Amino acid sequence: MDSLAFGSLAHIHILIVPIGNIHRATYEKWASEVRGFETIPLEDIPIDSRDDRARFMPTPLAKGHLHLNYLSHPSSLSHNALSLFRPSEFPLGVIGIASCSQSDSISSILTAFGTAMSGLPLQGSAIPATRNCFVFEDSDVGLDVGDRFPGLVIIPGMMGNKRVHIGTLIAGLCSQILGQFAAVMQSLETPLGNEYLNASLFPNLPPSSEFPKPLDSSGGFRDPAPLPARNSQPDLSNGSSRSKTPLGAKRVSSGPGLAPIRHASLPPTPATTKKRPSAIGAASSHGRLFKVLGDLFLLAGRHADSSVWYTEAIALFKNSQDAVWHASALEGLATIPIVEAWSSSNSMLSSDNEKEPWQDIMDKLNYAQGLYHKTAPPSDAEGSHVHQTYLYAQCVLRQASLLFAVWTCKGWGSNTFANMLHPGPNPFLSGVPSTHPVAGTKGETNAASTLPPKATYAHMERLTTITGISRAQIAGVLAQVHGPWLLHLGPRERITILQATAGMYGALGYLRKEAYILRETLGSIMDLIVCGRQEQIGIRDSGSSSMNRGLAQPGASTSQGTVGIRENQRTEGNDSLLRIVKHICRVHGVDLETVRLVDVSAVSQATSRQDRDMTDDVSNADDDDLSELPQEPFGWPELQIGIVREAIAVAEALPDYPSVAQFSLSSLKMLHPVMSQSDQFHFYHTATRALATAIRRGDRRTVEYWAGRPVISVEVLSLPLIRLPLEKPLSLITTKPNNPSINPIFSGSRDPFLYNPRKLMSGQTQSILVQNERFEVSVTLRNPFIFDLQLESIALSTSGVRIESEGMPVIIPSNSYHPVTISGRALEAGTLVIRGCTVQAPGGVPREYTLPLSSEEDDQRLQRRTTALFEAGRSKRSGLDSRPWKRVDKQAKRQSARTTTIRYLECNVVPEQPLLRIKRTSLTHGAVMLYDGETSTIRLTFENVSLLPINFLRLTFDDSTIAPAQQLLTEGELSIFDTYETEYDLISRPVFFWDSSQGTHQVDPGEKTTVTVKCFGKVGCTSGAVHVSYAYIDRHEVPDKSLDIFHSRQLSYPVVVTVYHMLACHAMDILSFSAITNYASSMLTADDPVALEREWGQKGVWNVDDAADWCLFTVDVRNTYGLPFEVTFERSQPDLASTTRLVPPGSTSRLILPIKKILLSEEHVSRPIPTLSDRQFVVAKSALTSAEEKAQRELFWYREELFKVITGRWKESGGTRTGTLSLRQQRMTLPMLETLRTETVRVQMSLFYRDEDGVSKDVAVDPTRSKYFASPNEFMYLRIKVVNMSPLELVLTLNLTLDPAQHVIHQGTLVDIPVGRLAQAESRETEIPIIFVSAGQFNFTSDVYAITDPIQSGKVGRGQLRTAVKVQDFQP
Amino acid sequence: MSHHLYLLSPSDTPLYSLTHYSSKPAQATVTSPLASNLPSWSTSAFAGTLTALSGATSATQPHHVQGGTVRVGGGQDRHVIQMIANASLDVIEEVVRKENAMYLKSVDKFNEWTVSAFVTPGNMKFVLLHEARNDDGIKAFFNDVWELYVKTMLNPFHTAHTPIRSPVFDSRVRASAKKYL
Repeated sequence: MDSLAFGSLAHIHILIVPIGNIHRATYEKWASEVRGFETIPLEDIPIDSRDDRARFMPTPLAKGHLHLNYLSHPSSLSHNALSLFRPSEFPLGVIGIASCSQSDSISSILTAFGTAMSGLPLQGSAIPATRNCFVFEDSDVGLDVGDRFPGLVIIPGMMGNKRVHIGTLIAGLCSQILGQFAAVMQSLETPLGNEYLNASLFPNLPPSSEFPKPLDSSGGFRDPAPLPARNSQPDLSNGSSRSKTPLGAKRVSSGPGLAPIRHASLPPTPATTKKRPSAIGAASSHGRLFKVLGDLFLLAGRHADSSVWYTEAIALFKNSQDAVWHASALEGLATIPIVEAWSSSNSMLSSDNEKEPWQDIMDKLNYAQGLYHKTAPPSDAEGSHVHQTYLYAQCVLRQASLLFAVWTCKGWGSNTFANMLHPGPNPFLSGVPSTHPVAGTKGETNAASTLPPKATYAHMERLTTITGISRAQIAGVLAQVHGPWLLHLGPRERITILQATAGMYGALGYLRKEAYILRETLGSIMDLIVCGRQEQIGIRDSGSSSMNRGLAQPGASTSQGTVGIRENQRTEGNDSLLRIVKHICRVHGVDLETVRLVDVSAVSQATSRQDRDMTDDVSNADDDDLSELPQEPFGWPELQIGIVREAIAVAEALPDYPSVAQFSLSSLKMLHPVMSQSDQFHFYHTATRALATAIRRGDRRTVEYWAGRPVISVEVLSLPLIRLPLEKPLSLITTKPNNPSINPIFSGSRDPFLYNPRKLMSGQTQSILVQNERFEVSVTLRNPFIFDLQLESIALSTSGVRIESEGMPVIIPSNSYHPVTISGRALEAGTLVIRGCTVQAPGGVPREYTLPLSSEEDDQRLQRRTTALFEAGRSKRSGLDSRPWKRVDKQAKRQSARTTTIRYLECNVVPEQPLLRIKRTSLTHGAVMLYDGETSTIRLTFENVSLLPINFLRLTFDDSTIAPAQQLLTEGELSIFDTYETEYDLISRPVFFWDSSQGTHQVDPGEKTTVTVKCFGKVGCTSGAVHVSYAYIDRHEVPDKSLDIFHSRQLSYPVVVTVYHMLACHAMDILSFSAITNYASSMLTADDPVALEREWGQKGVWNVDDAADWCLFTVDVRNTYGLPFEVTFERSQPDLASTTRLVPPGSTSRLILPIKKILLSEEHVSRPIPTLSDRQFVVAKSALTSAEEKAQRELFWYREELFKVITGRWKESGGTRTGTLSLRQQRMTLPMLETLRTETVRVQMSLFYRDEDGVSKDVAVDPTRSKYFASPNEFMYLRIKVVNMSPLELVLTLNLTLDPAQHVIHQGTLVDIPVGRLAQAESRETEIPIIFVSAGQFNFTSDVYAITDPIQSGKVGRGQLRTAVKVQDFQP
Repeated sequence: MSHHLYLLSPSDTPLYSLTHYSSKPAQATVTSPLASNLPSWSTSAFAGTLTALSGATSATQPHHVQGGTVRVGGGQDRHVIQMIANASLDVIEEVVRKENAMYLKSVDKFNEWTVSAFVTPGNMKFVLLHEARNDDGIKAFFNDVWELYVKTMLNPFHTAHTPIRSPVFDSRVRASAKKYL
């Protein structure tokens, strides 16, 4: 269908049809061979010199050509009305192409040719088509059929130069055609013919047999028709016009049909032509006849004659108001210069410099167009609207294509002429080799293939500068073709015209206008498709009784019965339509292929590919990232959505369900920010439905995942505590026996740094998983749409260690972030890299979304993104250049140099681990109730539920007292003493205790083991936990690269602890064990031993040898509980002795226990207060003087010593529960210390008399040995015995104080009495004679000073003596 | 007689649109006789689209050929008018590159519509679809709209891609349209 070429009026159309059984390829080959003859030189045409045929034959030496145009389809029947008006519209010749290999098949070919001819709608044409059939021999059979088959030409296969032969044959065909012209003309020249010609606007000739002269002598296959009077009208005018025969006169005078004219092809003189109007009778003007003559001469390549007759015709039309014919003649006239210019191959018309050479032609065409446009068609009865519109459109296109050809061929030249006459299959791609083969089956034009390769603006502007024709000018002319009148046209013509219009717009670079026209084209085509389908359905419905009819439908299979009928639609050509649709949408900024269609089988191959290319993925990810960039919107949202809806409708109507899905989803993806809710829903449901249908119909294609990047974050959920393997250094096991002192409470924080970034980093990226055990990954998904997004499956995408993980279906709520947990199982130990997720929409293809860890580069990219956000307000590209993918191209170019290393989430999968569980415990409800200081036992039974043995088991404990104490310690605000107390509390009195030495730690699979834990009641403890660490170490299959780490698991058993604080000690004191006490205890009578014991404790306790060596320990014990308790304090030195009291509820009892004084060595006492933990003390913060510090240390050490000696116990009265009583809360004061400590120097003072003979006699003493009874005025001696109790050698002096001194007379000095050097345990006595000079109470004090150091001398001992002096009766 | 105004951003997105029905009588536009007596066929939805796009009166309307009350080529289909405005950008873009004037009068014609345009230095395109020639009025109207637009753009939060939703802008544009069109 190339009748829209500029020179189409000069084209002889020849139809090529395949005949018989011929392979498509063979047919194409020979047809293209035939098509190669676009022109036939006039001199090559064999001249048929028979008189009635010679009229249009070329003169023997004529220069010029016949222009041929080959069709593959006959023109539509509706154009038959134009057969005289525009003979060039119709195929004037038919060439059948057949191939044969055997001689006997020739006849069948002939029959087939005949059938084919009768099937073609050629009957209506005024000029009968000349037929010929070329039979190409397949092989060298050497068929020689001679002339047995008229109309068949055998082209032997052995013939060398077939081309020349074909050329000759075509020339022969042309000759026959020209002969036909003459025949037609002959009949028209009769008066009857002329009347027919003028009968209506678009007249038609009755069958030739109606004419008086036999015309049909060409030996065609048409049977002579009978002779009915078709129309009576010509008959009426018959008589008048025939007699005058102006035509005959004309033939004589100007006689194109006469011999003289033929050999001298000069135009008739103007004089002769001028006569003619007058010569013509009144019946009808001959204008139309002349015009037909002009048309035929133009076709015959005799331009001079043609020009003459056109001019004649126009002259007549001007008067007769026959506007349409007038316009047509103008068009013909306008064609002539171009054809002539083409033949002479140099510009004839360029003489005029002022006007452009084509201006004249343009004017003519413009005039013609105006005539077509303004003239009202007489009536619609005979479809004159249709034809006139068609002619108008052709005329506009002719005009536009003239400008276009000049523009595109850079001016007025031979190229231009060739382009106008023989534009080739793609008229708008001149100069550019056509890349798309034209796949034009009927009704499915391939307008998309005429899309020009994008000519640059500069290129197009250059063309404009050269030619002086602007694109706007061409477009302005072209725009006139478009209007409501297009609806008049038949679908085929409309499609042709719209297609040409769109093509031209496209070539002009007016893509939006092209898209507009393409939409109309699509509308036409789709209308045909829809109607065609309805007709088919109608036929099937009506004629379902006959199977034959149903089967006759091409491609449609019908079956009877109530079962649903499925038709196999013809799908050829669908792709072209979809391409048009996509092109339209792209122009409007919607890329319908954002979501790609993929073949299912190809995908399955791709997914089975294990070694995925990393770089590929990187670019992929980048791609996605870019699409996520904040972009300014492009295009007209309302239009976009309308167009997309139409695109979907087209795809649905075809039907091409995968494309429906693709279109809907692509538009959703691209346009969802501007879409209304209902639109989103609609598109989503359409897509879902379409995919379901596509799958049901077994379509191999489906869409890839579309809904943007759904995965926001991937996070490995850490294993539950009981399953989490902890990485421990192997040295922990090996060094343990050697170094048991490291207390696990303090060993927790090994790292000396409070903040260790290195550790933090490694902990962030690596989570630990266990081989063959399930792990869970939390994935956060996003749904930007307003509908619930349904995912058929979401699965992990990993590399490294093999895992076993199944995809799961998910529904993401609309417009939200949605966390999903995916579980999996690692099958091997090693490193597992979680790259991201594979997501699959229902009916779609899975797609992987990787999720790299953020790195510095990402941050940079983010930054860049924010700058892009700022730039969003500035538009650097406008119009079609600002469509998203154009921008992406540029950005991609910019970023292509970037190389990235991408890290993904990594997990460490450790080898299989055993699993232990607590089978049972001795506790009910995991609670333990204790009195303060009570110790109970907890038995835990573990069961190994794994298949691996456990050969490492260790228990650690935690309780609620530890953390606060540790916090106190770390705060470091405590004094050294308090620190020690706290640490002691933590270490020596743990709530839980486990003796690790007992029992075996091997637990084989399935076996049980029991562990006993002691639990100690400590006030303030509310809860605790038993942590069991266990592992399988010393594996046999441990690889030799065995690391210095192993993994253990931990099992925790929480215990609720309740501790009743029922006994409180306070007011601890240490008193000196005076002689009175000693006496009093000895006075105790044993009349009630039980009461006695209850009151005083064991009797033996009080029996001390030397009161000076002892002191008394007392403490108050208060019972704050509701039960009575027996409290016992026990001393361990020098012998085991205890005192016990029953403390009733609510009361306080004082317990007293004599203890022996303690002396600690200087070196012991001077030791600093130790710290029990290995915490680092930077500076001892004490601001004490050395003396204070010494005192503090002394206090500390003596207290420690005291607590070693004294232990407190309690016993439930009448019950079985026992426990210890702690004295740790008690403070020791300096006086207590003085009392407790064995004196350095013990001073014993005594009074005695001395006889004359020097025998000493004791002064009377009271029974408690605390007071002397002396009489005044008697010589006595005060004996002071100084015993060095210290381990050191001491030099001592003695000071005596006698009080009241004025009543005592003494001899010698009282101050600085030298005692001398005393070794350890050495004693020395000093005697001082004294006389009490009055009665009364006397106190003697002796202080012993040590002179170890001249400067520092301290009091090291003190003695006291009290005397009551009474005047006694003298007893001689 | 109707006018359709679109303010298009550099990326072809309409930021503002206005349909103005002028009180002035429609001038007798020369319609081709070819456009009369159209076949009223609408066999499918696609034919409806085609009818609308070609500029014919929508097929749903009753077809009075003789009455003349229904304007041929009414093309009141909003979508089609938008399509025409969008398509005219092709010509506008070409002309803009060659001409210095901001006001491009009658830059394109399509169906019965004449397209006039005004391109600001910031590459905003004001596209007006009208039927009758009214060059001076349109020019004055465009200048008014431009001034209003510039005032809107003075808002620092307003970018070249922000749709204009200001009621003040709207009312002033309408007033200007009433005055000049």
